[in-house]
Amino acid sequence: MATYILRRILQTIGVVIILSYVCFYIMTLMPGDPVELMISSNPKITSEDVARLRSLYGLDQPAYKRYLNWVAQISTGDLGHSRTYRVPVSELLGPRLWNTFFLSMLALGFSLLIALPMGVYTALNPGGKLDSTVNMASFFGISMPSFLLALILIIIFAVQLGWLPAGGTETIGADNTGLAGVFDRMKYLILPVLSLSLQSIGSFVRYARGSMLDVLRQDYVRTAKAKGLSYHVVIWKHAFRNALIPIITVVALSLSNVFSGALLTETVFAYQGVGKLVYDSIMGNDFNVAMISFIISVSMVLIMNLIADILYGFVDPRISYH
Amino acid sequence: MKILFSVFLIFSCATQAAPSNKELKIGISQEFENLNPMIMTMSATSYIYAMAGRTLTTLDANLKWIPQLAKEIPTLEKKTAQIVEVNGKKKIVVQWSILDNAKWGDGVALTCADFAFSRQVALSPNVSIGEKETFTKVEKIEWNPKTPKNCTFTYDKARWDYYDMAKFYPLPKHLEESIFNKHSSKKEGYEKNSLYVKNPTNPGLYNGPYKISEVKLGDHVTLVPNPHWHGAPPKIEKVIVKLIPNTGTLEANLRSGQIDIIGTMGVLAMDQALNFEKKVKSENLDFLVTFTPSIAYEHIDLNLDNPLLKDKKVRQALVYSINREEMVNALFEGKQQVAEHLVSPKDPWYTNDPKQVKIYKYSRREAQKLLDEAGWVVGSDGIRTKNKKRLSLTFMTTAGNKTRELVQVYLQEQWKQAGIEVTLKNEPARVYFSETTKKRKFQAMAMYAWVSAPENNPKTNLATQNIPTEKNGWSGQNYPGWSNKAVDQACEAIDTEFSQAKRKAHAIQILKAYTEEVPVIPLFYRSDISVVPRGLKNYRPTGHQFAETNEIELWTF
Repeated sequence: MATYILRRILQTIGVVIILSYVCFYIMTLMPGDPVELMISSNPKITSEDVARLRSLYGLDQPAYKRYLNWVAQISTGDLGHSRTYRVPVSELLGPRLWNTFFLSMLALGFSLLIALPMGVYTALNPGGKLDSTVNMASFFGISMPSFLLALILIIIFAVQLGWLPAGGTETIGADNTGLAGVFDRMKYLILPVLSLSLQSIGSFVRYARGSMLDVLRQDYVRTAKAKGLSYHVVIWKHAFRNALIPIITVVALSLSNVFSGALLTETVFAYQGVGKLVYDSIMGNDFNVAMISFIISVSMVLIMNLIADILYGFVDPRISYH
Repeated sequence: MKILFSVFLIFSCATQAAPSNKELKIGISQEFENLNPMIMTMSATSYIYAMAGRTLTTLDANLKWIPQLAKEIPTLEKKTAQIVEVNGKKKIVVQWSILDNAKWGDGVALTCADFAFSRQVALSPNVSIGEKETFTKVEKIEWNPKTPKNCTFTYDKARWDYYDMAKFYPLPKHLEESIFNKHSSKKEGYEKNSLYVKNPTNPGLYNGPYKISEVKLGDHVTLVPNPHWHGAPPKIEKVIVKLIPNTGTLEANLRSGQIDIIGTMGVLAMDQALNFEKKVKSENLDFLVTFTPSIAYEHIDLNLDNPLLKDKKVRQALVYSINREEMVNALFEGKQQVAEHLVSPKDPWYTNDPKQVKIYKYSRREAQKLLDEAGWVVGSDGIRTKNKKRLSLTFMTTAGNKTRELVQVYLQEQWKQAGIEVTLKNEPARVYFSETTKKRKFQAMAMYAWVSAPENNPKTNLATQNIPTEKNGWSGQNYPGWSNKAVDQACEAIDTEFSQAKRKAHAIQILKAYTEEVPVIPLFYRSDISVVPRGLKNYRPTGHQFAETNEIELWTF
């Protein structure tokens, strides 16, 4: 197991290095650079200004040299400066990563809390009224565009009822600490979490139901029933545990997104997360921010897949690692 | 259900109080960066900085240059500005007097040394100032140590616009000099270590009516009154500028009390503003939607390298065949004004006198006559042809800009009626501005806007030397590729002409050629949109780049 994990970690590092260069190179191919963005906002910038700024930012160097400079810089622990916001990347990215993490984890946790029992229940009672209703609701959730759902939630809960804030991360200037601070943050999280969850609940229910239905038809479940095991033992120990494998894969993939952010949801709710920052950094050629976000995102995908692979072994002892 | 309702009640925000002088929350949709005035490039940053930092002069809502930190604007008449000759070159020497009680937020007096220091920073090769000319145009700043508020600025040449100091911001020398001296030898060393980055709430960084009490990039900035402000204390006790990136939710945030006003930096789309204005009337809401004519000029550049557009008659026919009056009424309910040319009606250089400039009133007959004269014959499908070539043009703009896309469709239909086939092709703004317009890759027509200042020499956009080419590194913004000797000469003459009447005469000469030769199709002057509570007094949107926040100290409920 240890050898397997070590090998996978080394593979992960290799993949991150290769992909980081590919990403860096692709970004250099995109039209426009930070200086051109400055020109478009100020026509008085002269060609001398352009040449001076390009040289200052190192944009006159070939892509590989710029990449190597960037690698040398981050290897010293300096994540660089954001060209757009003109502050250190760590200062910019850190709080937003946590905000996004809280939002994504809450949404994921809430989705699983609702979706798993619902998926299992509907699989145990297929064709029933509840099954049909849940199926309908799931498809509604999956097919509903997230920005539209977000807008509907804002109109109902913020504009019409005035129960919840329309957007933001916390009450500005409220200076809440302790439990009051937690409640304040929660107030701003309810609508984004609902908006994100309603979509994923739909797909998780479908996965859980499908997987459970599949397992319930297996011989070992029939055998367990024939042996006279209790209903709960058959369902939760023999069926549900085996049904978890595909669900773990889906959840692991969802977990890999916890630091990537939900661009639309964060934008609509003016939530200070990492999603919009990453989008803007790519569009604005803010290399340092984009590259660090990219590394975090790729690493999370690879690490979560590794964790999923390890979890398979715990759930299904037949799986071994070489 | 009862439990759910109780939970909502616990979390729910109490009914929002009406905005008052206690606190004002301004919603903006544009991102802002750190507030170092030397480095800032984003419009939203300038919008916020204007509340906390001032400089010698600015342009007010009436497009008049007014003193801010200066006691008055020096003039040749008062001899506070004088033209001198140094080594055979004419220069202007200007006496700027800083207000006696102008101080930084920590109580330290603001002096000539702060302006000289900001010039020193700007001239450093390791500081990424965007437009350096703002600072290089001043050759030296001198003062007598006994009178540190009376400065002598010597400009590099005899400039008539010497009083345009709106972007020449002072820096607090007493706080920033040691940082500059320590880090200026490294690339971007100063700006990375400046207090504006490391400690942006230091009151000594600001000299305006407010100082920054909290900055969260990407979210909000909080400002509180600066006790050392030299003017009358601001009426509003706390100002919060909140970023709401999605303009679609600005209205919801306003109505739910998350913000109190949508400033011009909210950049509300015209259709959103018009819809909201209707709601304000029908639901009797306590808001005022204002449309302020601005100097932003929406137009279509014609690529004069295109063989079809080389003929002036075709270009003129393109203008005659579109009903711009009807367009602004249909699409904008008349809230934006039809443009005759590049100079806005707010500018002293404006003229719509038919003796001075060619005025194009919608006339399909005139368009048909011109096209007939140019040899374009109406084909069986209604599209004109000449030598078996169709009169077919590609019309480009920024993809996803709803207003521009509506205008495109509207004009396409009108040109079709005149026998001109127009194909729409849009691109993301980044590609459009970085490649297509900049490198003149648009086949025929490119729509976008220019934002200039009053009495702005249009040479960047119209002079031959500013046609972007590979040879000149694609610099300049004469995207149509228009070349007119008389215009080039007039542009040069404007730069050194001290008589306003003579400058206007040169400008009219340019406008005459511009409207006669039609390198560009003028569409309309945009309006700045804001939504404010009816009770807010002294709120005056400016319609230009120096935002309404330049007089925030006067706002009151």
